[in-house]
Amino acid sequence: MKNIKYYAFPSTTKEAVALLLNKRYKAMALAGGTLVAKTLPETVETYLDIKNVPIKNIKLQGGNLVIGAGATFNDIDLSKLCRGWAGGVISAAAAKCSSQLIRNMATIGGNVARPHSFNIFPVVLLGLDAKVRLSSRSGARLVDFQDLYSSGLGLRPGLDSLITEIVIPGKTRKWKCEFVKLAKTESSWESYITLFFSAEKKGKGLAQVRVAVGALSPKPFRAPETEKVLLSGAGPVAAATAFAAELDAARAGEYRASAAASLLKRFAGSI
Amino acid sequence: MKNNIIEMTRGFFNITVAVNGEKKELAVRNGEFLLDALRRHGWKGTKKGCDTGDCGSCAVILNGKPVLGCLVPAVAAHDGAITTIEGLGSVREPHPLQAAFVEAGAVQCGFCIPGMILSSKHLLDVTPNPTEAEIRKALDGNLCRCTGYVQQVAAVKNAAKTLAGKGKRA
Repeated sequence: MKNIKYYAFPSTTKEAVALLLNKRYKAMALAGGTLVAKTLPETVETYLDIKNVPIKNIKLQGGNLVIGAGATFNDIDLSKLCRGWAGGVISAAAAKCSSQLIRNMATIGGNVARPHSFNIFPVVLLGLDAKVRLSSRSGARLVDFQDLYSSGLGLRPGLDSLITEIVIPGKTRKWKCEFVKLAKTESSWESYITLFFSAEKKGKGLAQVRVAVGALSPKPFRAPETEKVLLSGAGPVAAATAFAAELDAARAGEYRASAAASLLKRFAGSI
Repeated sequence: MKNNIIEMTRGFFNITVAVNGEKKELAVRNGEFLLDALRRHGWKGTKKGCDTGDCGSCAVILNGKPVLGCLVPAVAAHDGAITTIEGLGSVREPHPLQAAFVEAGAVQCGFCIPGMILSSKHLLDVTPNPTEAEIRKALDGNLCRCTGYVQQVAAVKNAAKTLAGKGKRA
């Protein structure tokens, strides 16, 4: 923070993006600031506060759930729309983030703007096939969440572009989902592992499954082999065995792999 | 200030803020967080504990919500409204929450209490008759190293009853 020369508080997305792109300011966008306010890069000279930018709404649009990037964890925890979507998994995940004081400040946009192992939402959004709306020099564009951190995108959210919305596709509305945060205490920021499971039944089988893992690396990842086993109908025990093997390959460690496999087995048995 | 931009001058940002209902012009240091700015300007009821957003001792109500003063850059409070513990009550005329904390024996060393009371105040503002689970959730970011989070919960319940009674009489 010590290199900051300007404090800017734009009131529209357009103004915010213009400030980010203006080389004079060397600006970085902050919302809640809980992750980065204490660790701003030394090259940043303008603290771009987006609290007045109208990107906080949570709404239904075209059958999708659209969460404004400025919505706080508390907003999402209390949102009736979020509580009614995918079994309430988005709200449940928001409620498991750290403490109420953090949940009052931290936003979903900030949580996904840059990868960090202990961020709660990335693993959920990966599992829900979410998309992210980015405003940049070339206008607004919708990108797959899983592509957000790839260098191929050519954008650095918060530095040259602004995340304005998270779009959860309508197909996920009725999915059976579960989010698990395995941590020392409920209000720990750190987690041993975070897990997202989802399934959609079709007849006696499954139409889709998602198994996503967070807290092991800055970017969450899916467990494709475990998903295949679940889709094949091989049953909870076989899925748990496959999951433990995938986590072992990801160097999760024995405790995490064993606990996560048990949790998947419980979920698979409840479908 | 020009086009919603404040420029630093001689190491300070000049901001306008309402503290406990009183409008103030404050000069806040570059890189200073709200907790330190408040204490430097005399509101020392806001306590500095971990300074990393974990303990909740520095909680203040900013624009209607309890936040961690140690994680809010002071300059970001510009145009905002802050309530600190000094804005609630005094020794002679304590707020019902302050009185309830004392009566319930919820205070030992007292360091965490300003933050805890401000978190409780916001809870009772939005949920006048909270359940125990709601109280515990609202206070989950306010750590206390002396007590067992029992008497504080009782104090918030008692304060809710007191405030409800006052509402009926009003």
